Amino acid sequence: MRIKTRYPLIVGLVIVFAYFYAQNGIVATSVSFSAIQLALPLALAAMVGVMCERTGIVNIGIEGTMLISAFTAFFLGAIFKDTVLGVLVGIFTGSMMGLLLALMAISWKMDQIIAGVILNILAAGLTSFLYRQNYSIAGTLSPIEIPILSDIPIAGAILSFHGPITYFGIFIVVALWFALYKTSWGLRSRAVGEYPSSADTAGVSVIKLRYLNVTIAGGIGGLAGAYLSLEAVGIFERGFTAGKGFTALAIMIFGRWNPLGAFAAALFFGLAQAVTSQLMIDEVVEIPQQFINILPYVLTIVILAISAGKVRPPAAEGIPYEKEKA
Amino acid sequence: MKRLPLSGVLIPLLSVLVAMFFGGIMIAVQGINPLYTYEVLFETAFLSFDGISVTLAKATPLILSGLAVAICLRAGLFNIGAQGQLISGALASAWAGYYFVGLPKLIHIPLALLFGATFGALAAFIAGALKAYRGVHEVITTIMLNSMVIAIADYLASTPFKEPDQPLTRTPAIQDSARIPDIFGIPFGFFIAIAFSIALWWLLRNTTTGFRIETIGRNRNAGWYAGISVKRVTILSMLVGGSIAGIAGAIETLSITGRFEPAFNAGLGFDGITVALLGRGNPLGVIPAAILIGGMRAAGSTVQFKTGVSPEIVDLLLALILFFVTAPLLARLLKRRHENVAITSGWSN
Amino acid sequence: MLKRLAAIAAALSLALFGLAACSSDSATSEADCGSESAFCIGLVTDTGKVDDKSFNQSAWEGAQAGATAVGGFAKYIETVDPKDYATNIGQFAENGYNVIIGVGFLMAEAMSTAAAQYPDIKFIGVDQFQGAAVPNLTGLVFPEDKAGFLAGYLSGQITTSGKTGAVLGTDTVPPVRYFGEGFRNGVAYAANELGKDYPETKLVYHAPDNAFNDPAWGGATAKQMLSQGFDVIFGAGGNTGNGALLQIAQTPGAYCIGVDADQWGTLPEAQPCLVTSAMKLIDKGVAALIEAAKDGSIAGGNFFGEVGLAPYHDFDSKIAQEIKDKVAALTPQVLDGSVPTGVKL
Repeated sequence: MRIKTRYPLIVGLVIVFAYFYAQNGIVATSVSFSAIQLALPLALAAMVGVMCERTGIVNIGIEGTMLISAFTAFFLGAIFKDTVLGVLVGIFTGSMMGLLLALMAISWKMDQIIAGVILNILAAGLTSFLYRQNYSIAGTLSPIEIPILSDIPIAGAILSFHGPITYFGIFIVVALWFALYKTSWGLRSRAVGEYPSSADTAGVSVIKLRYLNVTIAGGIGGLAGAYLSLEAVGIFERGFTAGKGFTALAIMIFGRWNPLGAFAAALFFGLAQAVTSQLMIDEVVEIPQQFINILPYVLTIVILAISAGKVRPPAAEGIPYEKEKA
Repeated sequence: MKRLPLSGVLIPLLSVLVAMFFGGIMIAVQGINPLYTYEVLFETAFLSFDGISVTLAKATPLILSGLAVAICLRAGLFNIGAQGQLISGALASAWAGYYFVGLPKLIHIPLALLFGATFGALAAFIAGALKAYRGVHEVITTIMLNSMVIAIADYLASTPFKEPDQPLTRTPAIQDSARIPDIFGIPFGFFIAIAFSIALWWLLRNTTTGFRIETIGRNRNAGWYAGISVKRVTILSMLVGGSIAGIAGAIETLSITGRFEPAFNAGLGFDGITVALLGRGNPLGVIPAAILIGGMRAAGSTVQFKTGVSPEIVDLLLALILFFVTAPLLARLLKRRHENVAITSGWSN
Repeated sequence: MLKRLAAIAAALSLALFGLAACSSDSATSEADCGSESAFCIGLVTDTGKVDDKSFNQSAWEGAQAGATAVGGFAKYIETVDPKDYATNIGQFAENGYNVIIGVGFLMAEAMSTAAAQYPDIKFIGVDQFQGAAVPNLTGLVFPEDKAGFLAGYLSGQITTSGKTGAVLGTDTVPPVRYFGEGFRNGVAYAANELGKDYPETKLVYHAPDNAFNDPAWGGATAKQMLSQGFDVIFGAGGNTGNGALLQIAQTPGAYCIGVDADQWGTLPEAQPCLVTSAMKLIDKGVAALIEAAKDGSIAGGNFFGEVGLAPYHDFDSKIAQEIKDKVAALTPQVLDGSVPTGVKL
């Protein structure tokens, strides 16, 4: 099932890249670089979803988490003229949002979709309410040149010169994958997401683990928000997450709740967006801009439609855990 | 209709009050009198004839988009695509509204509504079919479809269906014969919305189809065991949801906007999600939820004018209301058992 | 159980009364509006906020300036939903306001209806072109294509790679199209004049969804253009465009051009690349019309506001004098129409 999705994806990516490279090496590296830049917030946001859902909690509130974290990251970074502080504040804010979701979903056993919606509305309302003009940060997080990597002919230009959060984000993706599948924490977390009562019997504290994971996941969402306001853009505007938190949900499912799969899906979507822009830059086709702009969405649906196979989320997700009364 | 148990009404009522209290704090922080603000809010939304008219006009699309989301929730599907389906319906009905000339009202209006329902259903069908036959999760497809529909509608309204001789992106105005009138000052669309609400409630409760929808909503495997064609019911639910969302868009077009202009239907689909959740996924429950939200939005203008409170307060209040209605806090305070209605249990069951 | 309820209710009401006592009274001090002596100006924003750093803000600044100039009072209502335009306009109309300003082309119909309904109130429609003149409705319109054209001309003169581009919102918004296509034609005009064979300016649009509020995409797209040799990029798409400007500011040697207002002031982070902005002076136009309304000289139909290029600021010393002279010479010609922009919608 997973194999069937990956092959068309990889093949597709290679074909697209080859096409552009044949045209012009500069364009190909430019598009790929752009793809990573566009994919990163989606990838991080998707990690939030993966981490939560694998442990059994549905998190619809990623958009709100990103937005409010971007807000605090920016404004505190501006007030104290310390961008790194801003990033930390962003991560903290995100984890608080995660904690709030955990509280609503786990302890209060509220419907998790509702909990997520509440987070989103609250975040949008608060950031709009509290927004003030005329704040500037000291500077965005500057791109880093990675010494040996940047000398490699093609890959170097694509992979080097990204900002710190980008590299850290990629690290998180790999680390999360490793942790989920190769550590006992990961095993326990997945067990809690699939068979919580069995996990409980085996001595795993379902409640505690869920709280932990959702809070940490929230922190990752906060990092995604900080990325937007402190690395990618450098300002905060109301609502400027522009639906990325929701697209990330789609990407998480596209990636089958697997960190590497979700990352690949995010890259795919980012690449599609970059290619879309490139088509407009090249003015290759004579079709109206609206139709070019829906290319990423169409491609996503087509790939998914072709690579059939049932999507199976973690079995116990969305269901509040009640200890069996003995 | 059987009477709701006391806690069914008490908790939501109390939730609104408590939410208003916390909202009041935020208003006071701005230096404005919260009691006066609420007074203006309720007076404008519910206590004047004109006000009620606007409230119901705003509630109408919310009832319908809430129904669109709710009926899919019943089937275990999360229809985030109500916005796209609504826009499809709005555009299709606008086209039918201006294209056909010389029809009597009694034919033109239902025809335009039919166009709206059909194209809303079409948008939903894509998601439903992909889910049923290829297992593509409807959350992905509906999110993608929303953006796609908006883009396509944008194009159509700016080129082939554009109103000639002017630069704006919009369709020509609909014929008078397609306009939905007000009845005694209340938009007729409101009654259509109520009718759909009752129809859906009755469908879910008393028909085989309704039973099938509820069954696969609870557990897809149970549905399969019971001999229900899960594929067909999935598609059917999405079609019903999509057509109702399409009708929401159509009624907006035919009674209020009078043409299709992008940006004039913003947010209705997403508010529909809030309405469905507030109404606990119940076709009748969406009515008071929609009226509440519609009222708050309707009064926004006057509240801003008279008190200076910024419009975000409505969203903050909504979040708080949603929170207090669903969190067991108030129930515990009142020493009542809180029925934690799990409307959805994740992405599939 | 009832006792608990009563207790909660009592507590809440007391608390709210307490809060009420703490805050100032709500009614604003415009109680004079409607009386003979007061001159009250109401502004209805397009969907968005008054501090959006864009045209809502400019209009409000103009309204305030106008109010100060005529000794009047100004107030705004922020529109959340386009269907509320009529209601919002009505708030001012029903309360004796003398001038009502409506921002944005989407509001044109609501403004026309209101103007017919309230013949004694002066209506100013920003970006609302009047086809047929109505005596109490003045359309404050701007030839954005001219501003775009001048910006394009400058770009064509200063570019070294010959590759110019624009990062835009969506072209279904007329001002964006005027700006973008004017820019493109201006570059072509400059190229022609210089005898150079520059590729056509590339206009890249965002998807209609979230078109003006996606700075991350704007930045990534600008970066993409920059790495392909584009050295002058025009950002005309609200926050999306701003994202582009900010990204370009981080690339030495590249120029960026702002839009609507002088973004040197509104978006200081873009200063490193911001050579100019294609402006439409909404605030000046609104203020002028308010004064005209006060002294009775305002007329129906269209009032053409000023457009132009923002000052070069720190780039003044970096642009060749020859180029500055050329732009200065061309400007009046474009503004009065003797050099056509070639943009037709």
